[in-house]
Formats: sequence, C-alpha cells, structure tokens
Amino acid sequence: MAVAIRTEGLTKDYGEARGLFDLDLEVEAGEVFGYLGPNGSGKTTTIRLLMDMIHPTRGRAEIFGVDCHAEPVAVKRMVGYLPGEMPQWGGLRGRDVVAYVAGLRGGVDPARVSSLTERLDLDLGRRYREYSSGNKRKLGLVLALMHPSRLLLLDEPTNGLDPLIQQEFYRLVEETSAEGATVFLSSHVLSEMERACRRVGILRRGRLVQVARLDELHHLRYHRLEADFAGAVPADAVAAVPGVEDVAVEDHHLSCTVHGAFGPLLQVLGRAQVLNLVTHEPTLEEVFLTYFRDPAEPAQAPVPTGGAR
Amino acid sequence: MSTVTPAADALAPPVRGPVWGSAGTMVRYGLRSHRWALAGVAFLGFVSPYSAAASYVAATGTAALRASFGRQTTALGPQLAYLVPLPIRPDTVAGYMWWKGLTWLALVFAVWGLAAATGLVRNEEERGLVETWITQPLSRVRLLLSRAAAFTVAALAAVLVTGLGTAAGLAAGKASVGFPALAGQGAALLGVTLACFGIGLAAAQLTSTRRAALALGGVVMLVLYVLDALARVNPGLDGVAAVSPFHLADVTTAIVPGGHFEGGATAALFVIAAVLIALAALAFPRRDLGAALVERRSAETAVVRTPSTNPLLRFPVLSSIWEQRIGTAGWVVGSILAAGFVVSIARSTGKLLASVSGFQSFVHAAGTDSAATAVVSSVWLSISALIVAAFAIAQTSRWAGDDAEGRLEMEIAQPVPRWRVVAERGLTLAVVGLLMTALGSLVTAAVAPGQGVHLDAGSLVVATLLLALLALTVGALGALVIARFPRVAVPVLGVVAVESLYVPLLAPLFKWPGWVIDLSLFHLYGTPLTTGVYWTGLWLMVAIVVVGFGGAMAAMRVREVGS
Repeated sequence: MAVAIRTEGLTKDYGEARGLFDLDLEVEAGEVFGYLGPNGSGKTTTIRLLMDMIHPTRGRAEIFGVDCHAEPVAVKRMVGYLPGEMPQWGGLRGRDVVAYVAGLRGGVDPARVSSLTERLDLDLGRRYREYSSGNKRKLGLVLALMHPSRLLLLDEPTNGLDPLIQQEFYRLVEETSAEGATVFLSSHVLSEMERACRRVGILRRGRLVQVARLDELHHLRYHRLEADFAGAVPADAVAAVPGVEDVAVEDHHLSCTVHGAFGPLLQVLGRAQVLNLVTHEPTLEEVFLTYFRDPAEPAQAPVPTGGAR
Repeated sequence: MSTVTPAADALAPPVRGPVWGSAGTMVRYGLRSHRWALAGVAFLGFVSPYSAAASYVAATGTAALRASFGRQTTALGPQLAYLVPLPIRPDTVAGYMWWKGLTWLALVFAVWGLAAATGLVRNEEERGLVETWITQPLSRVRLLLSRAAAFTVAALAAVLVTGLGTAAGLAAGKASVGFPALAGQGAALLGVTLACFGIGLAAAQLTSTRRAALALGGVVMLVLYVLDALARVNPGLDGVAAVSPFHLADVTTAIVPGGHFEGGATAALFVIAAVLIALAALAFPRRDLGAALVERRSAETAVVRTPSTNPLLRFPVLSSIWEQRIGTAGWVVGSILAAGFVVSIARSTGKLLASVSGFQSFVHAAGTDSAATAVVSSVWLSISALIVAAFAIAQTSRWAGDDAEGRLEMEIAQPVPRWRVVAERGLTLAVVGLLMTALGSLVTAAVAPGQGVHLDAGSLVVATLLLALLALTVGALGALVIARFPRVAVPVLGVVAVESLYVPLLAPLFKWPGWVIDLSLFHLYGTPLTTGVYWTGLWLMVAIVVVGFGGAMAAMRVREVGS
C-alpha cells in the first residue's frame, strides 16, 4: 500500500515544551485518518508543517513521497486544505472568493462547486462578512473540496456545522475516500472519529501517544460494574481479582472498574448473594479521557452514564 | 438518586467591582491602541511648526527681508486659500509659523480623529472585540465613553507636543508668546480634533462597516472643509461656514501678533464634539452589533450556488485590482482632481512668484525661466509624489492585513510559489500607480496650455514613469519590512515618508551634506519635468526596488506564515 503521509522525527519546538516533538507517522493512501488530541496538543502544528506554512525545527515530512518543505508547490497540487481558522475576506461575496481561489489553483469544475454548495446548503451570493461562523466553515469546505485532490488535510472540519450538515460532510468524506483519496482530519471530538475514520492517531502535549484502528481502541475499553448484596460485601475478594480497580463499598453496595474478561470476577460474585448487578460500557470519549488525559490534570474516574450513588 | 440544588438565597451574590473599574481598563486599552498613531501625529505636531519657524529664520535675516517676505507671503496667500487660511502677519515668525506650520495640522489631527473613531467602533466590531467587551459587566454607553475619554487623552498629548514644537519654533525665532495664547491655540486644535472624532463616531453608528464609516465621515468632513475654504474667498459665506469645525478652529489666531483667541468658536467645537459623542453613545445601545442604526431589510434574492464568472478574478494582478476597485477608483479620481486644481492655478501662482524677488530662487531651482512651469514642475509633481507615496503605504497596509487576517495562508495553500505573491503585489502597485500618475499627467497636459505652460511631452512621460517608480520604491521598502515585521511596516513607512518630506526642507537650513538629502525619496525623484532625470536618484530608486522586492521574495520563501 502506498504511503500518503510520512513524517520522520518531525519536530516544531516553540520552546517551553510547546509545539510538536519527534512525530513518526505513516498514513496509508486511501484511508481516512483521524488526528485526535486536546486543545494545544499539536494537531494544527502538524497540519501547518505538512502545508509548509511553518518550517520544522528538525525532522521531515512527505506527502506521496514529495518533501513538504523542499517542494511545497508540488505538494499543494495534490492537497485540498481547510485551515483551522478561516481567513477574513471582508466584503467579497462567496462566489468571488471561490472564483479567486479557483483562479489561483486552476482546474476547478464549476459544476463541482454547485454540487458542493447545494449539499452544504451554502449561498455564495452573500458577502463573506455576513456569513455566520458555520457558513464560513462551509465555504472553507467548498474551497478544500472543489478541486480533485489526492489528499484532504482538514483541520477541525466540523467546527460550527449543524448536525445535518455534519452528516453531509461525513458522506462527502466517505465519497472522497471511495474515489481513492486520502483524508486526514483533526479533531478533539472522538465521536467524530468513530463516524468517519478507520484509524486514529492520538496526540498529547505535542507527542504522538498512540496510533490504532478504531476497533483496537475499543479493546482499551473497560466496564463499570455495580452490585447490591443481601449480606456482607466481598470487597477484599473482588479487589484481589486481576483487572479489577477502583473498588468502592458503601453499605451493601459495591462499585468497581473491570478491565478485560468478566469470568474471574463473576466467579467471586457467585459465591456471594447478589441482589442486583449492573454494568456500564463507557463511551470512547470516556476512554479517551481515562487513558490520554494530561498527567498534570487531576485524575477523572470513569463515571457510569447512570450516575453514581 | 437525588440531586442537590443549593437554595437560591445560598448562592453567592454577584461580585460588584469598582464603579469605574472596567471603564478604566477600557481607557487604558484605548490609550494603548492609539499609541502608534499618537507617536506619528505628535511627531508631525512638533516638527511642522518648528521647521516653519526654522525656514523663516533662515530666509529673513534683516528687518527689510522680513517685511519683503511678509509681503510676498501675503500676496501668495489667496492662491492657496482653498487649502489653508489666509496668512496673518507672515512678516513675523509667529505669524508665519501659524500659517505654514499649524493651519494644515488641523486637517491632519482631524483625519486622525475620524480614523480613530471609525476604527474603535467598526474595526473592533468586525474583529469581534466589542462583543467580548460588552459581555463583561460594562454597559455600551460606558464602553463608548471610556474609549472617547482615551482618545481625548491621546489627542491632548499630541496637542501638548505640538505646543512644545511651537514654543521651540518661537524660541528659534527669538520671539515669545504668553502661555494663554499657546493654550488657546492648542484648545482650538484639540477642539477640531475631537469634533472630527465625534463625526467619526456618529458615522460609525450609521454604517455597518469601517470602510463605509470612513467614507461617510470623510464626505462629511470634506464638505465641511470645502465650506470653510469657500468662506475664505467669499466672506458672505461666513455664517454658513460657522457649522464647520475647520472654520471654528481657523478663527483662533492666538499666537499671531495682534491675533486673538475665539473663546466662543472654541467652545462651540467642544460642544459639537460632546453632542456627537453623546448621540453616538445613545445610538450604540439601540442598534445590533455589526449593524447600522437603521438597517435596510435586504431584499429576497435567489440563492447563488456557482462561482463568479468574472474573468478578472481568474488572473493574477487583475484579480487584486478588481478586489480593491473602489479604493483604486478613489485614488485615481483624487489624483485627477488634484492635478486639475493645481495646474489650473499655475499661471496666477506663477505670476505672483515672478513678481516677488524672494521667490526667484524657487523658480530658478525648478530649472526654468517660466514661473508657471515651475509651479507645475515643482508644486504639482511634489504633490503627486506625495499622493503616490501615500498610495504605496496604503498598499503596504493591505499586504500586512493579508498576513494578519489569514488571506496569505489561503493563497499559499494553493499550488503557487511564494515569490509569486510578492511579485503580484509589486505588479499591482506598479499598474495602479502608473494608472494614477498617467491619468494625472494627461489632465496636466490638457490643462497646462490654458495656463500658458507648454510642457515637453517626452519630459512629462519621463516624469510620469518616475512617479510610478517612486511608488514602487516605497512599496519595495514596505515589502521588505513586511517580510520580517509585518505589524510595524506601516509605521516605518510613515516615518520614511515624513523624513523624506522634511529632509530636503531642513538640509539647507542646517547645511547637511548631499548624501543626507539623498535619504529623501522625494529628493531622489527630483524635478524631471524641467531639470531632467536625476540619475543618481533614479539608480538609487531602482536599487531599492530590486533589493526590496528581491529581498521580500527571498524572505517570503523561508518565512513562516501565520505563526
């Protein structure tokens, strides 16, 4: 499989531990890759390095084998780009902005623009300054998608889009991917990745901490278990079971977190008189918060959706 | 499961800060936002009266020369009455300094007031800053009044510096006026500044964009200025002109020997300012953010799904010119009108110059025996050079905006080499600069024969091309500074323009060497219509263009964008 994006030791050091550090990443051609991380983790810095807006402190990046820094024009011929923040076009109308950018790029089919604006429900007749933030985002998507690209670099593409337009955006991503293009989209919302991506890379404080398929990420999941007992709670026995953590007892109620298989725990519970047993599967959001939170942040115990007693 | 909700009376009461705490913060923020403009205006405020006094001292060594100088200036006054008030006692250093050094400053201060007012309302609304301010516990009225207070402090500081320049000029001319006279003159300058600030604030409430606010305020100011100018040559219009802040400021001549401070007119200026600021403060809470006070409901129009078919938008340079077509038209029309006006008074001004012995050197310096031709060669082309330099600075400001507002990032995200961005900017500047100067020269060529001025067509073409080169020279300096320090490019060019304006005036007075005079871009341009091409200047300008744009292209290739 060809490689769409390859970075080797890519670093942008802004000082004071800010920036992006030693990024080794490969994104395969044709895949939809999610780039996930909290605010300030280095997502936008990565994309701006790939677009040669900023230059690496060290390391290198390639798009389809072309060095991003040495041959930026060749790279941009292959890329459709949505910046994290839209530029201010002032009093220009949307149709003028599209014509202007199309003039810079060339090879834009007006029919493709019509189709995109129809699907995203964008009126190009209005002045840019009159656009809402969502409409500005839609215009950015039109500019990124209006020409044939081998790679889409989309920085937080669904920011400000309403749910209906988000669904249309995901359909566009699926179609683009089906046509053979690679899609690299950043977000700090894991649920977006669940909808659109096959693999995700997770950044924290400028470093890539994990690259995984989404189903692999699901393996990281844990369960929250709560049980009510008729008699004494076998707290020590439960706590001794491998994979069980965060055991808490209140009167005849026990709660704990279970990693991995339930079998050993069920054997222990079977020896007691259990009145009620409930398990909760956390969302990927909670998985993300549990495994990839900043070490400096206070620990956040997984909370079942049903609430805690 | 139960939910614990605190009782309403258990909630902490809202914290109430100092009454003027948030407004005080806005005053400090406002002062900070005015600091660069304040520095520039204050610099002009000091240099203008001082250099006028220094010129006077250098030109009038004896009582006879002073008397002659006064007669000549008095005779010249009516020719310039459409621009500045008639001179009063120009045979004295204070009189000449008032006429040459202070009267035009009123216009500079007024334009500053207009630009500051429209910027703090519309520009900050467009950038979302006002939305942030008013989400704090700060009323809209207090926000606007605190910003007006900040500008008043800034304007007062600039007026004080102007007073220092005036006092220094008087000292250089061994003259003195009392503090009350200086204070009265300063009060008139402050009053006209605040009145025009009020016009800007009011205009900004009636429009929805900064550009529209500037246009509306600018038109109002222009009408009031012209009203004042007409009243100077037609005293019958004095009553009508009393509504013009410029007229109300002109009537105070406190530093001129025998002059007087018009307390009523000055008070009227402050009343106008207060009323306009109050009206703006009343209007602000009554309109939507980002909207004008009275909004026209937009007509239903068909939804547009296709890109513009305008072919100009698809070609480099042409797309840039089209994008700024309204502004470009303004510059071109301004050049044409200025050419028509100045050249249309060339004969009468020339006659006056020819009749006054003190101005013979001016005529000879222009390299001609015809005083009218000297007016066209020196006066008009100097004004034209100023106009193209101002246009180049405006373009530089636009380039800096491209960077700050993300348009540059979007441009270079397309498959175009970075150097092309710089090249397109330079070409756009060259094309529009050439258009402005060519049309101005066509008007000059058309009007000049009627004034008895016979211009050599070849020389006029050369002079026109050199004006375009001057625009490129200023632009090249701007491009070079923007490549590294985009935020300071416009202030730096402003300093270069002022330096270029004053160095040729001050160099003879202080006997500075020739290379110092060559630091003036306007000196590099020379007087090509009558004395031919100043080759040293030409090559220096070409070198600046090559180094400036070449350096900017190289820097653009390696610089980081939007970081």
